[in-house]
Order: sequence, then structure tokens, then C-alpha cells
Amino acid sequence: MTVLVEGLTVIGPAGTMVEPVSAEIAPGATLALIGESGSGKTLTAKSIVGLLPRGFRAAGSVTVAGQALPVDRPGDDAAWRRARGRSVSLLLQDPFTSLTPVHRCGDQIAWTVEAAQGHRLPRAARRTAVEERLAEVNLPARVADAFPHELSGGMRQRVAIAAALASDPQLLIADEPTTALDASNQAEILDLLRRIQEDRRLSVILISHDLGVVRGRTDQVLVMRGGQVVERGATAAVLAAPEHPYTRALIEADPVVAARSGARIAAEEAAPSEVEPLLACGGVTKAFGVRTVLDQVDLTVAPGAIVGIVGESGSGKSTLARCIAGLEREDAGSIVLGGAALAPGRGSRTPDQMQIVFQDPYSSLNPMMSIGAILGEALGVAGRASSEVPGLLEMVGLPAEFARKRPAELSGGQRQRVAIARALAPGPRLLICDESVSALDVSVQADILALLARLREEIGIAILFISHDLAVVRMIADSVTVMWDGRVVESGPCHEVLEHPAHEYTRLLVAAATRENAVPAEGKD
Amino acid sequence: MSDIRIIGAAPVTRRRRRVPVGVAVAMGVLAVVVLAAAFGNLLFAEAMRQDVLASTLPPGSPGHPFGTDELGRDVLQMAVAGTASALVGPVVVAVGSMLLGVILGTLAGYEKGWLDTLISRWTDLLLAVPVLLAAIVVSGVMGGGYWVTVALLVVLFSPSDIRIVRAGVLEQSARPYIEAAQMLSLSRWRVMFRHILPNVTSLVVTNMMLNVAFALVAFSSLSFLGVGVAPGTADWGRQLTDGRAIMFQNPAAVFLPALLIVVVAVCVNLVGDWIGQRLSQVGEEVR
Repeated sequence: MTVLVEGLTVIGPAGTMVEPVSAEIAPGATLALIGESGSGKTLTAKSIVGLLPRGFRAAGSVTVAGQALPVDRPGDDAAWRRARGRSVSLLLQDPFTSLTPVHRCGDQIAWTVEAAQGHRLPRAARRTAVEERLAEVNLPARVADAFPHELSGGMRQRVAIAAALASDPQLLIADEPTTALDASNQAEILDLLRRIQEDRRLSVILISHDLGVVRGRTDQVLVMRGGQVVERGATAAVLAAPEHPYTRALIEADPVVAARSGARIAAEEAAPSEVEPLLACGGVTKAFGVRTVLDQVDLTVAPGAIVGIVGESGSGKSTLARCIAGLEREDAGSIVLGGAALAPGRGSRTPDQMQIVFQDPYSSLNPMMSIGAILGEALGVAGRASSEVPGLLEMVGLPAEFARKRPAELSGGQRQRVAIARALAPGPRLLICDESVSALDVSVQADILALLARLREEIGIAILFISHDLAVVRMIADSVTVMWDGRVVESGPCHEVLEHPAHEYTRLLVAAATRENAVPAEGKD
Repeated sequence: MSDIRIIGAAPVTRRRRRVPVGVAVAMGVLAVVVLAAAFGNLLFAEAMRQDVLASTLPPGSPGHPFGTDELGRDVLQMAVAGTASALVGPVVVAVGSMLLGVILGTLAGYEKGWLDTLISRWTDLLLAVPVLLAAIVVSGVMGGGYWVTVALLVVLFSPSDIRIVRAGVLEQSARPYIEAAQMLSLSRWRVMFRHILPNVTSLVVTNMMLNVAFALVAFSSLSFLGVGVAPGTADWGRQLTDGRAIMFQNPAAVFLPALLIVVVAVCVNLVGDWIGQRLSQVGEEVR
């Protein structure tokens, strides 16, 4: 029943993409593949399920319970249809796109069951099979009749798990299964996977860039970088005593590790100052139709302070940022910047008051403009010459020749640096970072946080830092405001909120940030 | 043990930028057609020479490889001479409706509100008008003429351009880079025409090329129906009408212009698709 990977190599059009990987996964055991984007972890996984992109091929062998998978024949659909399902199945990252929106969840699970059994089931048997699968992932039977869009992200991922397991595979490959979920859902899904895995004696390959996911839930770990395995071993041992410098860097960059040790990227928390606040929001309220997304929100940011806002999707944190920036119009309340009240909307705002850095570095730069043109335009707004572009690039840690490049030639982290440079060009007093590091790999994330902290030191800019991840916020912010369902439920200096969370939701966030409730690998029912 | 590895998000392979064979052939055909349009009128006098003695000669006759029509005019020469008339109108129509589409579509998509409502209802109205019927009516009332037809088709072709540009602009204007431009308080014109428009160029150009083909067929249809070009003018659509009567004596008099219309329309579509694909790859991820 053991899964045996021997000398698995992925060869792309430009040469070897993944150097030989070997591993052995016992039934019920989990192998973690850790690495950043471009490390080859996803290619490795895709080669095992026969989903390599055109032009790629794999060599080596993968044996699941004595049966060899046709890894060296990525185009052989007939062979793969036989091999997939029964022996190997894949769980994808995004539950919003991995389920078909036009079919009911029950049908999507039933297809896999029927495909695995090789024949159509009678109506009643089909229904029973679907309900059994749903029960296994702790979902009520009525979910079978629901369309994916009627379910929450966490429920959708449960349906995806049920569908992936419906063929009773021996090996499940989970590719970043919780990355797209809120903190409160992540732990639940991971624990669920762990339980099912033990019940079924299922071998799992868990792919993640997030060490927090790996900790306590996997037995062995392979750390990959640039297509090579740089370190391997028992998870606990590798995390406790990493040998390779890259593994050490990854662990140090992990916000959860930092949250446990108390390490910060920014200087020590500044004491709450008595000076007049730079930004003061009072009673900001906003509704979209009948849904109130902001309900009487108060917020102050002192000059040169870094203030974090934490909350999950739908908590209103981004809407608050967009109201402050004038990209949305608040219905009621006051927003005062530097003593001057700002009317709703962009009309009364000037570029030197505040700028935003958005979440997605891939869509926040105009793909048709060069970096130099993007920054030159932003400088021009403040009446500065485009000859200052190299200086601006240097300020965010990029070489001057990047001015000639287009966004598509840059990595995510580099693009986010350009976005920060653009935001700094008009000399704003407040920088709003709306989930600005959420889309980045952990080590890149740490670099960007360090850049923000340095900018605060150097030019004294105030930063409003919005994130769903308390572990990230506490590395950089002086104080934190926790939002839930459009309201501020708690706010105060970072360490106080972390050490003595008053609100129930904050306690949940703190637990997620430190992964204190993470179930250890052994000893779970 | 290869030394090529993926590091960070560095491009792995460059797309091969070779022109596919089909597109290359289409380009060659179009080049010949454009040359014929430019210099075809040099053959005009010769082509229009009527020769009653040589009327309705079948294909393969000496000196007339595609035969002659009922007035004794050489079918091949007529077709070459008719290229300009067949090509200029559609190109003007496509470019004109593209310009209308870019201006009105961008305004509608970016400004939204009442301006969008006004422009969108206007396009709905125009879309409800049957193109050929309107052309026939207007030509009948205004006395017809080539350029009246061109102007009319520009207006009647513009709704699809407007809607396509509007949809593209709507999609782009929701992107963070547009909000970043708004955060810099850039003027709306700058945002619309410097930031958004380059990102919908591939849509616009592809649609324009498709419109050239559509307009070519529309023009030929109108000429066939006797609207548009005056009788006796060298024009593919006109040739179709005139050739219909002698279809059994000289089939080439119908099939040559018909074939030319189809071939040119297909070639324009092929090249248009390819240009659109190329343009949409600019600024895209290299994977």
C-alpha cells in the first residue's frame, strides 16, 4: 500500500525543471512539499497525476500500492484514466474555481463515484453514496442539492475534498488546499484532512508555501528550491534544526514562527503618542444595498505610526481603506486627515495625502507601460521630473535598469516594490497597504515588510496595514484594530491585543496566528 | 544534470514568434489585392472597352482567360479594375466605425452613468436597424452613391464596435492599476486613453479586421442589389449582378468576382485574428 516515488524528474522545453525526487510515503502518512513559487513543487505534483502542461514530460517512476503510474506518458489519456481515481487524486487550491459552477455539488461527487466504479448507479444508490461522502467531510445531506456559489469557501473546499476522495484513491495530492481560505477555516480543513487520512489509511502529499500548514500535520518534509530538493527529513526534526540555509531563511520568514517567538520586523512598538492624529475616522458607515459593510467605525493613525487592521474577508476592512482613499463613498461619518475633513469620494483628495498599495501585484501595474513610464507618471503628478525614477527605484531596493522593463518581466515581489515606489512618488503622508503582502511567498513577504518598516524609519510615513493574517500584522504594526462583520471589535497596542484578546473573534485570530490549536501529528482520534 | 533551472518568476521559455503558413499565404494574397487596388485603374480604360463582337465568350477564349461578359468586357480585367472599389469602401467603413467605437465605447465604459445609458440605448437602436434594408432606403431617398453608402455603413457598423470597446473598458476599469491611476488624480482623459485604451487595442484591432470582411460582403451585396456603385462601374458586386444573366454562357463572369470576395474576406479574417493574438500577447506573462 506504500507510495514509492523514485527518481521522479520533470523535463520542460528549456531543460530539466525538477531534478530527481525520491520519496516513500506509508499508508496514512503525509509528505509535505515546501517551496516558493517556481521551486518545482507544483510541477512535481502535476507529474504524479499526469497533468503536466504541453511540452513537459516526466521520467522516473511512481508506484502506488504496487501499481506503476504512467508518469512518463503525460499525453496517454487512456492509461491515466485507469490510473487516476483509483490510485491517485488531486485537491486544488481554489474551491471557487475547482468546482463547476453550473452543476449541483452532489452531482459533481457522484460523477467521480460512478467513474471509479465504471458504471452508472441507480438513483437511490447514487444519493446514498453522495450523502455518505458528504457525511465524511462533516457536511449535511442538503449540500448535495446546492450549487457551489451557495456555499461558503470552507464548505466548498469540503465538497472538493469529498469529490477528490469519491474514487477512493490510495494517494491524495493536496496543492495548497487552504491558501485561499480565511484563517478560521484553514485549521478546520487541515484537521478534517488529517482525520479522513487516518480513517482511510490514505497517503497524502501536501504542497504548501506555508510552514504553518506543515507543522504538526505532516510526517516528512521535502524542501524544494529551483527544482532541487535542498533538505528532507522528519517534519519536526527539519523545523527544529534546519540544516540548509534556505530552510532556515524560510523558517525565519514565517510569520507564525515569528508570532511564537515574538520577533518583529519593524522596530519596537511606538508608545501611543499624545500628538494630534494624522488620520481620524469617526463613525464611518457604509452599506451596499441592504447590506451594511461598515457600521460606525472609528480609527486613528498617528503621524509615522504603523496601524494594522485585521479581519477576514467580508469584515469590511478593505471597504474602510477604500473609503479613506476615496475609492468608495461612505454613507455617514467623518474622515479627517491632518486636521482637514475630507468629503466622500476622490474629488476632495490630492495625491500627496495618501496612496494605496493593492493586494495583487499582477494587476496593479498597467501591463502595457514600462516601469519607468509608470513611475515617471506618478512623479509628474507631484511636479517631479522623471530623472528621479532611478532614485525612486533605489529607495524600494530595485536596480535602476528596471525602468526599462515591463511588469510582465518582474516577479511578484518586484512588482509590489514598484507599486510601493509609485505610491511614494507623490510624497503622501499616509500609505494604505490593502493586503499588500498576502499574494507573496513568505520570504518575499518578509522582504516587503522590512521595506515598509524601513520606509517608516527613513521618511516617517504613516502606514495603514490591512491583512487577514494577525501573524503578519503583529510583525510590523504598532497597534492593531480587529474588525468583524463591519464593526471594530477590539483595538489597542499590538502586544496587548495578542496577549490579552478580549473578544472571542480576536482569540480565534490569535490562535490561528500562532497555530496553537494545531493538532499534533500523532494522538488524534 | 542540466544547468537550466527555474528561479523565481524568471521567464522559462520565449514564445516562438513565427508567422503560421496560413497567415503568411493570406498576407501574400492581400498584398497582391492591395497592389491591384492601387494600380488596377490603369487597366480601367482597357477593361471598360466594350466589344460587341466578343460578347459572352466562355472562359479560355484567346485573349480572355476568364471569358467576357455580355458587353464583351474582359472578366479578369474587370475584376482587377474593380478591386479598388471593392476594398476602399470596406476599409473606410471599418476604420471609421472603429474610431466611433473607440470614442463612444470608452466614454460609455469609463464614465458610466447617464452617458453610458445614452450611448448604450443608441447602439441598441442602431442594432435593431437591418443594415441592407436601411442602405437601400437611404440610397433611394438620397439618390445613392458610393460615399453615401460608406457613411451609412460607418454608422450602422459602429454599434458592435461601441459595445466591444465598452465591454473591454469596463473590464479594465475594475482593475487595480486603474484605481492606482485614480489615486494619482490623473485626468479622466489620461486614464481613458493612456491607461485603458492600450489594453483593449487587441480587441479593437481584431474587431476592425473582422469588420473589413463584413463590410466587403455588405458592399458587394449592395452593389449586387443595384445600390451603391453606379451601373457600368468596375466593382465585384456589380459584376455579380451583370454576370448572373449569362451564368450558363460564361460561368466565370459570376464565379470569379464571387471567389475574390470570399478569398479576400477569409484572408482578412485570418490576418486579423493573427494580429489580434499577437497584440494580446504584448504585456502578457511569458510562460
